[in-house]
Amino acid sequence: MHEMSIAQGMIEQIEKIAQDYDAIRVTKVEIETGILRQVIADVMQTAFQAVSEGTLAEGSLLELREVPALAECRKCKMSFEPEIDNFLCPQCHLADVKILQGDEIILKSMECDSKEKKETHEN
Amino acid sequence: MKINVVKRVLNANDLVAQDNRKKFKQAQVLAVNFISSPGSGKTTLLEKTIQKLLPDEKSIALVGDLQTTRDAERLAPGALQATQINTGMSCHLYANQVADALKTLPLAKADYLFIENVGNMVCPGEFDLGENLKVVLLSIPEGDDKVAKYPTIFRAADLVLITKIDLMGALSFDLKRIQDDLAKLNANVPLIQLSSLKGDGMVPWIQWLKAQRRKGIGAQAKFVTEE
Repeated sequence: MHEMSIAQGMIEQIEKIAQDYDAIRVTKVEIETGILRQVIADVMQTAFQAVSEGTLAEGSLLELREVPALAECRKCKMSFEPEIDNFLCPQCHLADVKILQGDEIILKSMECDSKEKKETHEN
Repeated sequence: MKINVVKRVLNANDLVAQDNRKKFKQAQVLAVNFISSPGSGKTTLLEKTIQKLLPDEKSIALVGDLQTTRDAERLAPGALQATQINTGMSCHLYANQVADALKTLPLAKADYLFIENVGNMVCPGEFDLGENLKVVLLSIPEGDDKVAKYPTIFRAADLVLITKIDLMGALSFDLKRIQDDLAKLNANVPLIQLSSLKGDGMVPWIQWLKAQRRKGIGAQAKFVTEE
């Protein structure tokens, strides 16, 4: 049940960003979860709902997309998609990899209501 | 308005863990997180290890269990300090429990901080405590299929210790199977077989630990993401 702890950290980041943009309410949050983090979508939704109560993100919609894993062999530099129980490089049959993708949780974007009229910010 | 963020989510635990790691570095302490299922011999190994490092090197033990202070009592002789964290219903330690304990530990006087996590092979792997290394124990009675069954924790291991090898003949245990399964996950992870009770394997273990202390101060455990 590490989803609760992840959601907690996420809410803190979300609130801070929302305040930086003078938002009064967060309506939608988009995240990407790396498959290696083994985040269960349903559990994450429940955790997010629970920890967002009483914050600017209360009642917001959480959109979650799972990202597959991508590893790079340290020896031959080949990239491949590992299995959770198999990180062997298909070329040199050695499990000594750098994880390129799939072990992170990324906060992609947020939609907010602001005091002013609608505008798009990027950073 | 839509705000494009694209930032890694650091969970609340990670932030505290990073702070812990800074404190370990400041104090020049090697922090080792011991992870295994209950009954694999973490406490017995630590009892012997703390004694063997003396008189040159001093250790602090931090022990997580759901209930009782038995392990801390066992580890107190020889340790600078042994502190028990009772986690109640939680099956792993959190970084903030370690942070709280640090307030009362004589970190500056220690060479090693041994954190004995709650016996569990799943959740402790997900929660960074700020340690420099993860040591994963697997005892002979647990069976030779456990690396394949709990791949995530073995992938994160900096060292795998096969414990209770004095029982090797009495139980069916195929070490080759462990090595093959580990090779699929973590090619370069060292593996040491030992018996804390009989003393076999204690020399390479202590040598490994001392070598890590020389080079590992301030390092972060494998696969721990940091800002």
